[in-house]
Amino acid sequence: MTTAPTNAASAEVTPIDRQARGPLLLLLVLGVLWLVPSGIFALLASIQLHSPQFLTDCEWLTHGRLEALQETAFLYGWAANVGLAIALWVLARLGGYPLRALNWTVAGAIFWNLGLVGGLVGIATGDMTTFSFFQLPRYVQPLMVFAYAAMAISGVLAWSGRRTDSTFAAHWYAVAALFLFPWMFLAAEVVLIWLPVRGTVQAIAAGWYAQGVWTLWLAPLALAGCYYIIPKVSGRVLSSYESAPLGFWCLLSVGAWTGGRHLIGGPVPAWIATMAVVTSALMLFHYLVVALNFRGVASAPGTGATFIRFGVSAYLLVGLLEVLTSFRAVALHTQFTFFATAQTQLGYYGAISMMFFGAVYYLVPRLAGRAWSSAGLVAGHRGLVMLGVVGSVAGLALAGFTQGAGLLQATVSQGSIFEGMRLPLLLNTCAQATLLVANLLLVVNLIRTMATCCTTVDATAGLFRPSMNLEAPAS
Amino acid sequence: MKNGPLFLLGLLVTIALSFLGVVIGSHAQLGNLVPFYDDAEGQAFPQRSSGIAARGQLVYGDLGCASCHTQQVRRPDYGSDQARGWGDRQSVARDYVHQSRPQLGASRLGPDLKNFGARKPVVASELDIFNFLFSGSARHPAYPFLFETRKVSGEVSAGSFLPAGKTPQSGFELVATERGRSLAAYLLSLTSGYDYPESKPVVLSKKVEGTK
Repeated sequence: MTTAPTNAASAEVTPIDRQARGPLLLLLVLGVLWLVPSGIFALLASIQLHSPQFLTDCEWLTHGRLEALQETAFLYGWAANVGLAIALWVLARLGGYPLRALNWTVAGAIFWNLGLVGGLVGIATGDMTTFSFFQLPRYVQPLMVFAYAAMAISGVLAWSGRRTDSTFAAHWYAVAALFLFPWMFLAAEVVLIWLPVRGTVQAIAAGWYAQGVWTLWLAPLALAGCYYIIPKVSGRVLSSYESAPLGFWCLLSVGAWTGGRHLIGGPVPAWIATMAVVTSALMLFHYLVVALNFRGVASAPGTGATFIRFGVSAYLLVGLLEVLTSFRAVALHTQFTFFATAQTQLGYYGAISMMFFGAVYYLVPRLAGRAWSSAGLVAGHRGLVMLGVVGSVAGLALAGFTQGAGLLQATVSQGSIFEGMRLPLLLNTCAQATLLVANLLLVVNLIRTMATCCTTVDATAGLFRPSMNLEAPAS
Repeated sequence: MKNGPLFLLGLLVTIALSFLGVVIGSHAQLGNLVPFYDDAEGQAFPQRSSGIAARGQLVYGDLGCASCHTQQVRRPDYGSDQARGWGDRQSVARDYVHQSRPQLGASRLGPDLKNFGARKPVVASELDIFNFLFSGSARHPAYPFLFETRKVSGEVSAGSFLPAGKTPQSGFELVATERGRSLAAYLLSLTSGYDYPESKPVVLSKKVEGTK
């Protein structure tokens, strides 16, 4: 069934990759496809920021709903699908055996994405929960938990049934992300939806969840990919690897406490914000370890390494900004402004997504058994997406500075603040358009690569192929 | 980290600790907060909002107003909230005890609305709100879907209005839908006029600073 791979990239394809090809490519393709709606939502929402009357007649697309649609499609569409594919692949490769329970992964992926579509329709019609990063309507949430658990099963099995006894940093991060997300999601569901806590405690709980999405889920997924890929592309062992456990446990145990920094000065206990300052500063250990471990990527060649280099730099930068903006004196200028939006953009697009892109560029040739179909599209995507990220972060940050300075002075009217932000917000819109175009290039390239790759990777045929390769000799 | 169950247990402990500390900890502190009973006034604050205002909060939530408006006034010496007329005291947790889903918000592209129903110097009237929501402005979207043009049967309704620059169409009137009326009632219900014991000291500390 599997045609013999015929080009250079295939040299690195292991039987493990061949066996997991269908399900993992399904996740990757779904994830990358989600970038298109999420990019369209982001573009529309950013146009509304400087031209508020844009699409104003359409109740489905008010600015609030568009923002919720955008972040939901981005997090639960793009990041979740691709992150899971990366984690499962890393665990399979490190485990040394082909993935088991892959039909669970396929079923989970289908239900996850169907649930997400339903959730987006729900948000557009006004059923969002209004909690940032947790906007999926309550009726799809249980489905999402089960679907995620189903997808994660094969990863946890691959880890517990691994060939070698010892573990590697990529293991820890991947397992943590697979294992913790359902717990975190369920906990948030209980205290926000089923048995809602009272008054402003909801804001604290929502802040805890939103921070957990970053520190317990997406950052571990991205780091799992990096820990696996960086030694491969740089051809060197990770430097200062002995400190990796410190970085891991620091992120896991301290990270989720830092969510309170968005509530500085708000109607919550003062210790919430103080705790956020302390824990944000502690997180510097994590960022230091990541910087030390990933030093090797600075000189590594290849597209994947370029993306990961960008992603790691953005990750470190956003870590520093988190610490800075958690201080009350700084938060006074940045709180409630576009500077916070810029930080989110830098974190989720500049850091997480770029590391994911790096992993995608590394993964797809090894799963599909052939190189990317067009080097030009790869270069185009790389250039445009970097331009887009830098442009949108710069635009939002500039708008944030203007807004922060204006808001502090009561004599500056909201109207003049708005006028002052118009230009940087236009820059942001251009950047969002660039990102959308860039990601369309990736979609085209990915589809072309899959279409021309080999007979088995035509959508469904590959997905439900019996696991006959398990019996095939591993050579 | 070779021991699988122990590793998973460790992961679970990390997430449980942060959940216990942040969420359950603040719940223990604020979860039993009750309205403050003022003996002199003979009633408890904050007062429950009317049914229509409670429905209006759902409209506020499902339109996503919180993506541009906060509902949390910071203390007078932290930011310009007071000077902008958004509220004379900081918002405290007790302000929100009756709200099923507080909309604190995280972005101030628009003004804070915590005290919208007691805004200084003038409080907007219901008709002002209708006009604004129907037509929008250079920096606020219009929400025409919260309104309907309907045929006048008998007398013109009390809540009908005519946006500036529009000529009246004879026999028809423009009125807010139920959602529009709820939203306006909710916005007007947003007041934090009562000073709780815990919301006072901050004003005091400002005076101390001022005398330095």
